[in-house]
Amino acid sequence: MIIRYEIGIVETRNVVKAILDTYGYDFRDYALTSFKRRLEQVIMNNGFKDADGLINRLTSNKDYFESFLHEITPETTEMFRDPSLWRTVRDEILPDLMKGGPTKPKLWVASFDSGEELYSLAIILKEAGFLSEVQLYASVISDKAIEKIKSGRIDAKELEVNDANYLRFIGKKNFSDYYYNENGQIVLDTSLVQGVNFVKLNTLYDNAPGGIKLILFRNQMIYYNQILQDKVLYQLSNSVVPGGYLSIGVKETLENTNSSNKFTVFNDLDKIYKKKTT
Amino acid sequence: MNYKAVIIGGSAGSFQVITRILHSLPPTFPLPVLLSLHRLKHIRSGFVEALSIKAGIPIVEPFDKEQIKPGKAYLAPANYHMYIELGNKIALSTEESVNHSRPSIDLSFITAAQVYREKLVGIILSGANRDGAYGLKKIKDLGGTVIVQDPAECQVKTMTEASLKLTKVDHIYSTQEIIKFLQNIKTTAL
Repeated sequence: MIIRYEIGIVETRNVVKAILDTYGYDFRDYALTSFKRRLEQVIMNNGFKDADGLINRLTSNKDYFESFLHEITPETTEMFRDPSLWRTVRDEILPDLMKGGPTKPKLWVASFDSGEELYSLAIILKEAGFLSEVQLYASVISDKAIEKIKSGRIDAKELEVNDANYLRFIGKKNFSDYYYNENGQIVLDTSLVQGVNFVKLNTLYDNAPGGIKLILFRNQMIYYNQILQDKVLYQLSNSVVPGGYLSIGVKETLENTNSSNKFTVFNDLDKIYKKKTT
Repeated sequence: MNYKAVIIGGSAGSFQVITRILHSLPPTFPLPVLLSLHRLKHIRSGFVEALSIKAGIPIVEPFDKEQIKPGKAYLAPANYHMYIELGNKIALSTEESVNHSRPSIDLSFITAAQVYREKLVGIILSGANRDGAYGLKKIKDLGGTVIVQDPAECQVKTMTEASLKLTKVDHIYSTQEIIKFLQNIKTTAL
């Protein structure tokens, strides 16, 4: 059984306020339940006494704040999650993206991914022969995330599910062709992400890159309330070019957001949208 | 006691029990029914359809931030945790598995307990691991009413026995008794 350390709503808001006041990072419109839970996790993992202990450390130590940004962001946990989505990207979207002129299309993993989405995308690009024909962007909230992604190190316990997902995706090779085992540590082929442009963003995405043809933003809006969903979707809808694609989580929706009128549904099952041309 | 919601957790051996319970509920059932059931994480379709065949109330796999309404059942979607958020909304999460489970019954129960407190009924059914036992305790600790399916009737007893070990429950009921309890339930307007 797990005995969980718990904090209240007031303490959660105190942490959010301390971060905003000290560093200008705005977590006010993160979904309360999951954010509170993640704070509890951070407090337990670091052995803080309580929320005030966390606040003291956060406000007095900028290096710790960097680690905090990394810790507070949920891990993606699976490669090729929802294999049918990845087949659609491979079979329908990539051919469309590669039709354009001489400039390399820009593809952006916009969620604060721990690497799984990025490596999955890189693998399908490589298998299609397009890895060096595109410009790949990846959002990070902390430098630690860049380190983690570039190290290629993933948890060995994720191997089984990654392998099963890759099989359902029906790739060209075996998933085991993309990693090696270094004394029990699984290391992905880091050459896959060599050309990636890492974009450091704050929680509001107000310095997002533009001219993007495909945005993967899966399962991040679930950590927002509806106010932040609207704000970030507004930024993303400006980033994606007309006719470009936005992929969100299969249980997320643009309905009820103020960006819904800018997109048409391209694939309802896997929640892929296409930006309108007018 | 007047209630605002019912939450049910189940795993191995719970499918037929859930089906019977949902079948017994009238279309006028006055509360939302939250279902946190262990399921194959990579199979997204089929489950809600199978549960719906004989159900007396509509069942949905909610989208994130979907408003919770009475007379409707909400099934935790495959490969997501399902939280209950203040403002009576569903919130989904892809955070790491808990008790090897995503959805985790514990997480659904804990978050529902925090929102509905004494106005919540929590029910644990047949299952093969201990997920849900801690969540049921949280519901009880916050004043809710907790029911465990009679282990003697369960296909797999692990989950109900773990729950009984941790919490002094209000009722140990057979499926038929659970149905009777729900049919007679009193409510407060949401």
